[in-house]
Order: sequence, then C-alpha cells, then structure tokens
Amino acid sequence: MRPKPLLLACFLLHFLIIVIISCRQTLWLVGHGLTMLPPAFKDYSERAETVVSDALAQNLPPSSPIRRALLTYLHIAGIERPYGYFAPNVPVSYKLVFELHYSDGRVEYEVPGGNTAAADLRLAALLDEIGRTRVDALREYLVKLLARSTWREHPDVEAMRAILGSRNLPSIDEFERGTRESYEFLYAYDFSLEKESSRLESP
Amino acid sequence: MESCKERLIRFLFPAQSGNWLTILRIGLGLQVLLYALSLKRDWIYLFAGTGEGLNGRALSEGLLSTESPVVPRLGWLVTLGSHVGLSEWTVLSVTWWFLLCAACGLLAGFFSRSSAIIAWFLHLCAAKSGGLVSYGVDNFMTIGLFYLMLSPLPDRYSLDQKLRKLKTKDRQLLGFFRRVLQIHLCLIYFFSGLTKSLGSGWWDGLNMWRALARPPFNVLDPAFVIRWHYLLPFIGISIFAIEITYPVFIWPSQTRGIWLALIVSMHLAIGAFMGMYLFAMIMIILNLAAFGTTLNWPVNRIGIHHSVSPNDNSSSHSILSRLGVNC
Repeated sequence: MRPKPLLLACFLLHFLIIVIISCRQTLWLVGHGLTMLPPAFKDYSERAETVVSDALAQNLPPSSPIRRALLTYLHIAGIERPYGYFAPNVPVSYKLVFELHYSDGRVEYEVPGGNTAAADLRLAALLDEIGRTRVDALREYLVKLLARSTWREHPDVEAMRAILGSRNLPSIDEFERGTRESYEFLYAYDFSLEKESSRLESP
Repeated sequence: MESCKERLIRFLFPAQSGNWLTILRIGLGLQVLLYALSLKRDWIYLFAGTGEGLNGRALSEGLLSTESPVVPRLGWLVTLGSHVGLSEWTVLSVTWWFLLCAACGLLAGFFSRSSAIIAWFLHLCAAKSGGLVSYGVDNFMTIGLFYLMLSPLPDRYSLDQKLRKLKTKDRQLLGFFRRVLQIHLCLIYFFSGLTKSLGSGWWDGLNMWRALARPPFNVLDPAFVIRWHYLLPFIGISIFAIEITYPVFIWPSQTRGIWLALIVSMHLAIGAFMGMYLFAMIMIILNLAAFGTTLNWPVNRIGIHHSVSPNDNSSSHSILSRLGVNC
C-alpha cells in the first residue's frame, strides 16, 4: 500500500480545494446580492470571497506556475466548478432564431439544434453562455459559430439574421390566467455571404 | 486512548471488499457507453474544429490554454493525427470508437485500469474541447472516472480477476477510495442544498416551476405541472433539505437507506421529468457505489457477500461506532 501520510495529505488538499471552491461560489452569490440574505451580509461576503480567491491562487498572474498547476489539477479531477446547479434561483433561458433569406425572396425561420436530445441539452448550455456573456465580441463570435453551421445546412441562403432573446416564463398565477411564455428581444446580427456580421440592434 | 489522528486514519482506511468498486466500474462503463452512443450522430458536429462542425473547439481550447496548457484536449489528438496524415474527421471518429471500446472494457472489467485511464482521458478531452457545450454531467463523469482510474483495480467481479488472475490485495486502499467518493458526495450535496436554500424561489415553488417549464427541460406539459402547483413549494423545500442533510443522514445505518432512496428518487425524477437522463444516471451510480453496498439488502442477509473480509466489520465498524456512525 502507498504510504498513508502521503495519501492523507493528498486527501486533505483535495477536499480543502473542493470546500474552498464551493465556499467561494456561495460567498459570490451572497456578495452579489443574488440570495435572500439581508444586505448586511453583502460586504462581509465580498471581503471573504477575496480571501478565498487568494487561497485558490486566483489573484496570481495567469502565467504563475502555482496557479497553472492548481488549475490543471482542478480540470483533470473534474473539481473546477462548484455545485450550485439551479441555485440560488433557476436562471433565465435564451432563444436564438435564425431568419433565413433566400434569393427568391423566401424567408424561413430556424432554431439551432442537434440531431439528438443529448446534443440539444449541450446546445442549450451554449445558448446560456451567449445570453449571459457581457462581452460583445464573444457573443458575436458564438452566434457566428451557430450561424455558420446553419448556413452549411442551407447553402442556398443569401442572407441570415440571428435574433437573440430571453425567454420570459410566466409565474404560476400568470400561467393560470392564460399568460404564456414570451420573448424579450436582446440582440440581432445580420450575416451575408459578402461581408462579416454586423450587429443591428441592441437594447 | 486513540488520538484523533489515529481515529481519522482508521476511519479513512477501513479494510473493505471491492463491491463498491464493481458498481462504480460497471456503472461508469454503462455511463460512458450511453454518453458515446447518445452523441454518436452529433460527435463531429460538436467537436470538429473545422468544416463540418460547430467549430467551437478552437475557442474552448484557447480559453483552456489561458488556464493551463497541459489539460488534455481533442486538439492534441487531431494534431497528432495530422502528423501521420489522418484527417480531423478520422481522428474524431477513432476517438469515439476508442471511447466506446474503453466503455466496454470497463463493463466487462477487461484491462480495467487501462480502460479506466483511456475512458477518463478521452472523455476529458471531449469535455474540455467542448467546453462551450458541456454541462454538469461532464463534471461528474470526470470525477467518477478520475476516482475509478486511481482506485485499486481490478475488482473481484472483473474479467481481469477471473481470466487474468489479477488480484487486489490492499483492502485498506479500497476502503480509502470509497471514503473519498463518500465524502465528495457529502460535500456536493451539502453545498448544492445550501446555495439552493438561499434562493427564495426554492421556498415558494417558483424555481420548481421554472426548472420544469424551462426549455430544454420542459418534458412535462406545463398545464400538467400547474395542476399540481400546490406541491411545488413542498418539493422545492424537500430537495434542498434532503441535500443539506445528506452528510448527516447518509452515515448512520438507520437513516442511510432512506436518504439513499430519497436522493436516488430525486435523480430519477430529474431524469424522467427534465430529460437529463445522463445526469441522473451518473449521480445514481456515484451514490450507489459510495453507499449502496453498505445497505442491508436481502441478498446480503442470505450470504451472497460471503467473501467480505472480517476486517470489514472489525475495523470500520469499531472506528465508525466511536465516531457515532454505523457503516
């Protein structure tokens, strides 16, 4: 058997990291006012989160060997993410619709999707990323990825508009009164064969 | 009187049989098999970096490189393949077949360790290169495969032991890796429940409604969900209560069966009512491997597990009873 002290040290380090990552997420949620805890907790949580981030070498430069070694371990062990799924609340979801313009004036609408339900679940994660990111360039890049793959399936399309919106689910009471899911327009991008995309509108 | 350190070491290194490892190996083999089969038609689309696919691999791998350049990724395999004249399509297809073979190896327990390492590596490559299209199931599969790869394989029901006569002698190491999995699950559920309990939507049922009505998880007709809406607050509170108290009630033998049944039921419901079959399955596998074999199943009582080491009782029971735990 491998020496117990070595295994014990690895064990303690491994779980210390897991606890720190999980605590950091909890503190981040509280610090950003996303929980129902009173605002008095906010400042404390923000300060505590900074300390916890330090412990995870997050404040070291990206090229730091310590930071890289730690991040490598987190990724290969699958412990880089915390466990707050659908917490503290279920996030908003997004919908992306492509408006396909053909040379004969025809217009069709298509929603990006895979061939299987398993792929659709994964593409939903991508849509969430597109909707959540505050980096315009990243959002445009990701929409372009989906637009290109849609274009390959419809090679005779002349121009394409991608419309991103957030889904507004009615509350239980509203649903009972007949209100159904609605969409709030967020961004639109135009793509054509000749030129690169250009964002049309944004709120 | 034993020192805390000695008690901790005895708790962490109980001599155990490999039944839990058999469940983990076969379960993860099945999981990887279904993972690969479920993505067969979209494998190239999701992971190709050029031409036919979504082409998101470059971005995922670029972002990954900013964190660490040595985390496995499909780009490595594609580059390696290009040196011997293989196209990206060929490399990705071969990767898929290797993953499938590794899954079969795990299911049969044939070259268990090699199969576990290959499955962990290839799944990790896919999960990291497809970072933009990954979700919770990938994390839990990585966790499970990481522990499986490090555990003292082969287990006693594997073909490696039956045909190749390979033996696992170190029962304490078996016990140690089981403890690791058990404690990891406790942390997962505790923090998952804690963060949920901080959201008002889990108290009033709104989050249950949103989770069930939110595409692509809206397997159930919303009208059906609304018909039972008065149950939603109760279910929401129950979910985070079960999760937070998991580390407390999963250890004593009197409550372990109940909590295991509750948590497995919760994951079955997630699979059936939200369409997250793979996610549900991996969580059930991890739970059954960690705590399933310590239940008093009827088969245990009639002596199926006759070859469990006497140490199973002598060491782990005595230590845990001192810690106030029955396992």
